[in-house]
Amino acid sequence: MNRNLTDDCLDLLQSQHAAGRIDRRTFLVGLALLGGASAIGGRFAQAADKQLVVTNWGGDAVDAFQKALTGTYASERAVDVKINGSGPTKGAMKAQFESGAVSWDVCDADPGATKSLGELGMIEPIDYGVVDRDQVQPGFAYEFSVANYFLSYVIAYDAKKFGDNPPTSWADFWDVEKFPGKRSLYKWMSGCMEAALLADGVPADKLYPLDEDRAIRKLEALKPHVLSYWDSGAESQQLMRDGEVSMALMWHTRANLVEQDTGGDVRWTYAQGILAPSGWAVIKGNPSGRAAAMDFISYCQDPQRQIELLRALGCGAANPKAHDLVPADLKPLDCSSAENVARQVLMDMDWYAARSDKALDKYLAMIAS
Amino acid sequence: MAIISKPPLSPIGMQIMLWALPALLVLAYVLPFAGVALRSVTRPAPGLENYVRIVASPDLRMILYRTVLICGVSTILTVPLAYILAYYWVMGRAVTSRLMEICIFLPFWISVLVRAFGWMVILRNNGLASDLATFLGLPAEMLATGRSANSVVIGMVHFMVPFAVLPMASVMRKIDHRVLLAANGLGAAAPYVFWRVFLPMSAPGIYSALSVSFILSLGFFVTPMVLGGGRVTMIAEAVFVQMFQTANWGLGSALGIILMLFVLAVLWLVRSVVKLDQSVSR
Repeated sequence: MNRNLTDDCLDLLQSQHAAGRIDRRTFLVGLALLGGASAIGGRFAQAADKQLVVTNWGGDAVDAFQKALTGTYASERAVDVKINGSGPTKGAMKAQFESGAVSWDVCDADPGATKSLGELGMIEPIDYGVVDRDQVQPGFAYEFSVANYFLSYVIAYDAKKFGDNPPTSWADFWDVEKFPGKRSLYKWMSGCMEAALLADGVPADKLYPLDEDRAIRKLEALKPHVLSYWDSGAESQQLMRDGEVSMALMWHTRANLVEQDTGGDVRWTYAQGILAPSGWAVIKGNPSGRAAAMDFISYCQDPQRQIELLRALGCGAANPKAHDLVPADLKPLDCSSAENVARQVLMDMDWYAARSDKALDKYLAMIAS
Repeated sequence: MAIISKPPLSPIGMQIMLWALPALLVLAYVLPFAGVALRSVTRPAPGLENYVRIVASPDLRMILYRTVLICGVSTILTVPLAYILAYYWVMGRAVTSRLMEICIFLPFWISVLVRAFGWMVILRNNGLASDLATFLGLPAEMLATGRSANSVVIGMVHFMVPFAVLPMASVMRKIDHRVLLAANGLGAAAPYVFWRVFLPMSAPGIYSALSVSFILSLGFFVTPMVLGGGRVTMIAEAVFVQMFQTANWGLGSALGIILMLFVLAVLWLVRSVVKLDQSVSR
């Protein structure tokens, strides 16, 4: 919005200058002032036209959101929707709030991080008068965020090596005798602590609260066999595609892409996959206001739009009404459908809200030591 | 031209122009930096808690130690390599000189991210380097360093060499060739001339190359992330984690301040060495 206004003023200045109504020096002063105004922040923003900024994690997700969600929303509601792919990490959202110049309206964020920021008063509670609780998988309509899609941390494996006898558990992932080769885990911990505890024999229903020290010990034991702790989804794909590792903990969306790329030389399984929600969240003081943000969130709940997102990005629907409508070819990717959920373990975002910072410090110290 | 016909600036105009630079420095650097310094002692609570934590935590100490070690090793490898390149660039024949110029500046224009991924393709376990090693009948690990601290050092050295070449080349250009001819005329053989005349005369360039390389290396972020397989955490990444992942800004700021103290310490050290060197040679 702020940018819109700035652009407007720029146009005006330029036309004034071109028409000879203002001289070059005034034109330059005007430009400098505009630069200053946009640096000071989005306070003018409220005055400009309708615009909505949706922030996600970039890459393929920008086009996918555009295709499945924001494109039609923009034309139906006559709102200019911008997708910002810079990644609403916890620190970035906190920085938005504290700067007093929030420029994001709706964030595709981690429900754990959102909850801990929400408890500090930085996040708008979801308005369940507008957003329909019944259109959210039970248990995933949180106070400060609402599930927008699901993804799963799954085992991807080299099918040329293990095709006849594929791994079926995290215990297999840890078993480098039976399944030789290097491994790759996620650098930012999510899913890895759970995988370690499951491999160590903790029953799925006794997983939370995670026994951090036990998980770290188990992860430490695998460390000599871990070639790389991947940082981006693309990196995890490359490690599997080039055969650098024989197994990796990956997002199922990315595992699916490698499977396609390699014509089935890499495969993956939902067995003991760790199913995690992503959530829509609104930072307090968002430029378009709470109501506009909630309207967008409720718009995205539509089952058909969820299926469009599944088609474009491969992530599971958050609306339970969508699962039955998913076409057969997409069903294997719909990680949150009842039949796929049955094979997985649900991630507890409350644990992440309370513990993830401290645990991440421990985890990173373990991999870097 | 309109610009030429304009009258010179009035005294007040001059004043404004003169004060613009310090004002910019204050606005763009000093103020934000003061914010960082303040945060490091006020978040989450007033006090030196963050600094105490850095000193007391073996994990954070390990990151500092690793940063200094990797930067030290990369600097020690960078400077002699860059010296050779600078020497042939400045002293070599026209063809050699031109070739050196291309070799130095071509990589200079490629982004650090692209270069890191380039090295990844070469050094990874079943990449070009391991193919070459197999072809030569060597063990693959000899050339393919994989995702490791060694690969990080290779990537960093490659990035820093041009930065080390420039200060040394500019010092070498100022060396009076007649001095070398005189040494030669007095009977010194070429290696002796280099060792006793050229090398000492180019020493100031070496000192500044050392400090430029080391200071530059302290801030590396992308290269260790890509080539280190997620394990080779250096201080810049530790700052990133505290700022963005755990949103613990106090600790992140304190790490940033420590990084800056390192830089100041290096600058001070180099200055003292240069002073000492000058007083000895006089």
